[in-house]
Amino acid sequence: MAAARMGLKTALITMNLDLIAQMSCNPAIGGIAKGHLVREVDALGGIMGEVADAVGIQFRLLNTSRGPAVWSPRAQCDKALYRVKMREVLEGQAGLHIRQAEVVDLVLEEGQGTRDEGHRRVLGLKLRDGRQLLAGATIITTGTFLNGLIHCGEERYPAGRSGEPASVLLGEALRRLGLRTTRLKTGTPPRLDGRTIKWEMFEEQPGDAEPTPFSFRTKKIVQPQVSCHIAFTTPETLRVIRENVHRSAMYSGQIEGVGPRYCPSIEDKVVKFPDKTQHQFFLEPEGLNTHEVYVNGMSTSLPMEVQWQIVRSIPGLDEAEMLRPGYAIEYDSVDATELDRALCVKSMEGLYLAGQINGTSGYEEAACQGLMAGINAALRVKGEPPFTMDRTEGYTGILIDDLISKGTNEPYRMFTSRAEFRLHLRIDNADRRLTPYGRKLGLIGDAAWAEFEQKQARMTALEKLLTAKKADEAGLRAAGLEGLTSVAGQTWAQLLKRPEVKIEPVLLAVQWTGRPGSGAFGAELPEQDPVERAVFRNEARAVETEIKFAGYLDQQRKSIEKLKAAEGVQIPAWLEYRIISGLSREMQEKLERVRPGTIGQASRIPGVTPAALSLVHVSIRVQGARRPKEASLPG
Amino acid sequence: MSEIEDNPIAVDTIAAISTPPGRGGIGIVRLSGPEAAEIGVQLVRLRQPLEHARARLADVLDADGTDAERIDEAMVTYFAAPNSYTGEELVEIAAHGSPVVLELLLRRGLELGARLAEPGEFTQRAFLAGKIDLTQAEAVRDLIDAQTLTQARAAASQMGGALSRRVGPLKQDLVELIALLEAGIDFAEDDVEVTGPDEIARRIGELTPPLEALAGSFARGRIVHDGLTLAIVGRPNVGKSSLFNQLVERDRAIVTATPGTTRDTVSERIALDGIPLELVDTAGLREAREEAEQMGIARSREALADAALVLIVLDSTQSLNAEERELLRAVEGRAALIAANKSDLKSEAAAEMTEFANLPVVATSALTGEGIAELRERIVTLATGGAASEPGMLTSLRHHGAVTTAISALKDASGANESGIPHEMILIDLYRALWALDSLTGQTTPDDILNLIFSTFCIGK
Repeated sequence: MAAARMGLKTALITMNLDLIAQMSCNPAIGGIAKGHLVREVDALGGIMGEVADAVGIQFRLLNTSRGPAVWSPRAQCDKALYRVKMREVLEGQAGLHIRQAEVVDLVLEEGQGTRDEGHRRVLGLKLRDGRQLLAGATIITTGTFLNGLIHCGEERYPAGRSGEPASVLLGEALRRLGLRTTRLKTGTPPRLDGRTIKWEMFEEQPGDAEPTPFSFRTKKIVQPQVSCHIAFTTPETLRVIRENVHRSAMYSGQIEGVGPRYCPSIEDKVVKFPDKTQHQFFLEPEGLNTHEVYVNGMSTSLPMEVQWQIVRSIPGLDEAEMLRPGYAIEYDSVDATELDRALCVKSMEGLYLAGQINGTSGYEEAACQGLMAGINAALRVKGEPPFTMDRTEGYTGILIDDLISKGTNEPYRMFTSRAEFRLHLRIDNADRRLTPYGRKLGLIGDAAWAEFEQKQARMTALEKLLTAKKADEAGLRAAGLEGLTSVAGQTWAQLLKRPEVKIEPVLLAVQWTGRPGSGAFGAELPEQDPVERAVFRNEARAVETEIKFAGYLDQQRKSIEKLKAAEGVQIPAWLEYRIISGLSREMQEKLERVRPGTIGQASRIPGVTPAALSLVHVSIRVQGARRPKEASLPG
Repeated sequence: MSEIEDNPIAVDTIAAISTPPGRGGIGIVRLSGPEAAEIGVQLVRLRQPLEHARARLADVLDADGTDAERIDEAMVTYFAAPNSYTGEELVEIAAHGSPVVLELLLRRGLELGARLAEPGEFTQRAFLAGKIDLTQAEAVRDLIDAQTLTQARAAASQMGGALSRRVGPLKQDLVELIALLEAGIDFAEDDVEVTGPDEIARRIGELTPPLEALAGSFARGRIVHDGLTLAIVGRPNVGKSSLFNQLVERDRAIVTATPGTTRDTVSERIALDGIPLELVDTAGLREAREEAEQMGIARSREALADAALVLIVLDSTQSLNAEERELLRAVEGRAALIAANKSDLKSEAAAEMTEFANLPVVATSALTGEGIAELRERIVTLATGGAASEPGMLTSLRHHGAVTTAISALKDASGANESGIPHEMILIDLYRALWALDSLTGQTTPDDILNLIFSTFCIGK
């Protein structure tokens, strides 16, 4: 999509046209840290946020009891609509050619002569029907399809998703290329028939009254909104699981892949936390036009009849019918330390990988990689330098840096705790951080850019107003803040620094109207659309955040400068680690494997010490000074 | 998150005493980095503003503020980046070589935000700035190499070492608190209970006292690391050299009945209760009869001025003379003690000495060995300020700095918690404390925190 929008003739090859953007796990987008990724994709001009907004049936802004840096949007989506909407958007894109076919191999050009020995270039793809498709750059995104193997109790069969064939031939082809691969595992829970659930027995979890959309460009939430429900296991549930745990594919030794610890199967939870007497799960609707219900929290690879017993052990589900059983799936992934920061395979020119194949899990983690790979594939074809993001600029940059520096031994999911500069990487400023890049890359249209600029101007104006205007009696009364002490001569910005002063009443006091045509925040607000209200309030809160927490933000800003300095020291590709005296063999191997691009990245390779970094740093100059002499030698 | 703090090429300002330890004619404290000048001007009172490559006279003060007194005079030379040895802002403060003054300058520099330089770091910076050539660079590499070895050895000894054993459990408690708060943020949708402010306050409250005790152990710890000098002074023929020999447990100094036998200072290193002590036997203080003795006495006065500890030897059979009274007044307020020697003979001066009752007095007989054990004990007490020996005490300025950073970060976290600041900001302070402790015992990675979360909480749906 990104490549097509950047003006290149782009082909999208899929094994089944009807199942593009089929959500294999629960039909929910976003969540803590994942919502940040969606906002970043959107800010760069990606389509995930807009599509999710268009088909979302329950929106919630999570973590609002914490500070603004960790607020994150989540939306339950209509699974069928998501697929339809996504295909509609893709088909509407000029220059994007969608074809159904199975990719079975790569077209390679092997390096000739001594200089290029072992260096390979990918020229395109071979399809199962014998055709070849040549391209300046190739992106592979295999999801869980690469040598996919489904486990359900003792049963197992090759598949990419429930009911869809695995990509076996391409899997074999990639293994032949000699890339380091590992086996990962993930799982899904059973799906139930909503008509057989006694809903009144569960606690209702409605969406937000004022939904927060993902996209900076979304103006309205159009789908009717529904609720999810919260449920708990019973002692009987735990008994059934304990008695049958040996029959789970995870515990019988049938599965070799490593599963994610943050998304364990229900049998895993029971075994690893024997003291916990009940486990929480959620009943989530899969769409508006279906009765199918996703049992979030009950992922399992137990045999079907045991799954049935588990479901029936819960009051309210005692008559529930299971539409599909849960299953575990194993698939191939490539060690992401084989990649550079543009997501290009280092040993294979022109080949980009994105998504689960790089060891991640989740739609959002996949989306940000797909966008970055698409952008960089396009830049390569255009002959322009790659577009990369560092850890200080976004969660996307953190995700890629983590993957290419450390690889992963379980499906990688984003957490806010992975971000050193969490306070700066907020959902409210994703556009300020990234939209200028998106614009430069040609992914942000004129209208969206104009809106972005207006929003920035609005926020600057509000900040100026708060910094300039002193709190007067009338204002304090309007804000209901008469009780505040020592306010003489204080500006509103100074008052906002106090933990007990919030932005909403202050907006009333300074008579901030925000956007043209709308009234002041507060009394006249109910006339506005709920989404507009949410957007307006979040905008004001973003300004509040910058004022209220300026001290913490400054502290992190200093650390960012330090990191930037380390990232500024490039490690040239010709550096030879094995001739650096004093560098231990272990350290040499670690560095050789990743071949970090900067000193900063080298410092994040597990086990690389500050002393080793000093040696590398010095050796860049030492080896660099010797190079011209060697280059002039004959042969 | 910790790698940023550890990064060796971070753009910070480093400081070190760049002349060999011990007394030299001139001692230099050097600062390099973006804040070198800013910090440098706060260390001294300049008589003229700094100017590139010009030496400036300045006063070294004993404290900050207006009532500070001048304790030394120094030459301050400033080199603006990039025209300096390191290519960075560089300030050199040359003072009169007294270790006390140099260390004071260094410690104040560190308090103002400089970081203690690693071995070879000035040279490394010079190299990276392209100020020195390849051959010199090889030497730098050897230096870093040596540093790696030293670090490896230090790490190995620390791994099973007492300091790690002491810091380890505290760090574990801190990591647990961090994991609790992180779990509450990243897994708010899961069945994880949010940690309340009282619980956070309680946990921080439990961490602080042991860290403060650890910081307090530095007084003794530093002495163990650096050692101290003890000058033995007194008028001629009171038995200074005999006591010296008793303390070093062999005949090192020449002892005769003739007053003024010791013409030059004689020194010997001993260890008292694990504390390295440089004992300096000095020439007796009196009107010198000849030139050689005169020079010896001048050196005695110098040794007296430099030493951290002073042992004044008096003859308990005689009354105090003017020189001795003068000496006792001179050491007022310093770490000093009195040996009332020749206790085997009839005492005449005991009553008179109570005038100086604020100094500890030990009755000794260098001849019989009486009171020597007590004297050793008193010297140790004096050296450590009474701090008892304990396992895992802090021995380096760097360690002490790390622990005090951790304490102040925890204090900030505690304050933030009280005012209801969101958890992700309290965490900034907690991580700052963690990185400080990391620098003593090894790095904690974000993955370590996640591992703890996954093993503590039943996460996931």
